[in-house]
Amino acid sequence: MPSLKDIKTQINSVGSTKKITSAMKMVAASKLRRSQEKAEAARPYSSRLEEMLSSLASSAASGEGIIKLLTGTGNDQNYIVVPVSADRGLCGGFNSSINRETFKLVKSLEGNGKKVQLMPVGKKSRDFFNRVMKDQIIESFVDLNVSSTGYESALNISNKLQELYFEGKFDKCILVFNKFKSAISQEVTQQQLIPLDVSNSEKEEEKENSSNAIYDYEPDEETILKDLLPKNVSIQIFKVLLESDAGEQGARMAAMDNATRNAGEMIDSLTLKYNRTRQAFITKELIEIISGAESI
Amino acid sequence: MATISFDLVSPENLIFNDDVGTIIVPGKDGDLGVLPGHSQVMSSLRPGRVMVYSEDKNLVKSFFVSGGFAEINPEKCIVLAESVVELNSLDKSSIEKEIEELGSKESKESEEQLSIAKAKLEAITVSFYDKI
Repeated sequence: MPSLKDIKTQINSVGSTKKITSAMKMVAASKLRRSQEKAEAARPYSSRLEEMLSSLASSAASGEGIIKLLTGTGNDQNYIVVPVSADRGLCGGFNSSINRETFKLVKSLEGNGKKVQLMPVGKKSRDFFNRVMKDQIIESFVDLNVSSTGYESALNISNKLQELYFEGKFDKCILVFNKFKSAISQEVTQQQLIPLDVSNSEKEEEKENSSNAIYDYEPDEETILKDLLPKNVSIQIFKVLLESDAGEQGARMAAMDNATRNAGEMIDSLTLKYNRTRQAFITKELIEIISGAESI
Repeated sequence: MATISFDLVSPENLIFNDDVGTIIVPGKDGDLGVLPGHSQVMSSLRPGRVMVYSEDKNLVKSFFVSGGFAEINPEKCIVLAESVVELNSLDKSSIEKEIEELGSKESKESEEQLSIAKAKLEAITVSFYDKI
C-alpha cells in the first residue's frame, strides 16, 4: 500500500501538469482565432485568382515553358510529395496522421513503379521522414511561422518547387496537409499542385463567368497566363500553410482540453484514494488503542 | 456620375474595397484609366502606381504595387497584387539605398527586385494629379 506522502506527491504532480495543459489550451485557443482570421483574409485573393485562372485555362491548349505548370510534362513517372506538418508536437494526432497518410501514399505510388521524392514542410514530418526514408528527401522547410512571416514563406517553397520542376526533376507534385474543417476537426487532404488541376476549382463560378464574360486580354492571354500560373502555385501553397496552421492550433486546443479533463479525473480518483488510505490508518490506530486498553 | 466598385487584394488581406469614381491601373503595356462602364479587360500589371479617385475627381488613395493582375468589367475593378504599400508611406532615401545595395549584387532575383525598387522610386518622384 502506498504511503500517504506518496499519494500526496502524485496528486501535486498531476495538478501541475493540469495547470500546464490548461494554459496551453488557452494559448492555442487565442492563436487559433488569429490563424483563422489570417486564413479568412487570404481567401478573397485566392478565390479571385482561381476565377481568373479557370476562365483562362481553356485557352492554353498545349505549351512549352511556364504553361507546363498547367498542362503537365506529359510524363507520369516522377512524383514529389510535400507533407505539411507542424513544427511542434502536443497536438494529438495532427502530425502523425499526416506522416501516416504520406507514408501510405509514397508506398502506393512506389508500388505502381513511380519514383517518389519528398519535400517535408514542418519539423515533425521532416524528422519522421529523416528516420524512414532519408535518401528520398531533397529539401525540407522548417520553422516557417506562417502567421508572422506570411506570404514570404510560401514564396520560398513555391520557388524551390518550380525550379525543380523546370529542371525536369519531377512530373507531378502532391501536397498532403490537414484541411481545417472546424476548430476541433481536421481532415487529411491530398491536393495535386503541379500540374494544376483546374477541374476541381469551383465549377459553378466558371459557368457564371463563361456566360457573361468575353474579356479583352492585355497584353494577351498567354502572357497573362505565364504570370498567373507561378503566382497560383505560391498562393495555393500559402493557402495550405494557413489552413494547416489553423488546424494545428485547433488540434492542440482539443488535445489539451482532453488532457486537462483527464488530469482532473485523475486528481479526483487520487484524492479518493488518499482519503481512503488516511481513513484506514486512523481506523487501524483506533483498533490498536482499543485492544491495548482492553488487555489491561 | 456613376461609381465603380474597386477591390485591391493582396495575398494576406483585402486592402481596399469601396465604390469610387476613377482608378488608374499600371497595365503591362501602359496605364489604364478605369471609369464606370469600362469594357471587360483582363490585364497583367507592371510595378507602378494604382491611383484611386473619388466621384468628384479628387485623389482618395494611392498605392504602389509590385505587379499583379487586374480584372475589369463595367461594374467592378479587381486588382490582385503581390505586394501593396501606400504611396505616402514610402521613403525616398531608403529606396535609393535599396537600389544601391541591389545594384552591387548580380543575380536574377536581385535584378527583379532592382526593377521593382526603381519603379518604386519613379512612382514617388514623378508628379501626379490630386484632381483630374
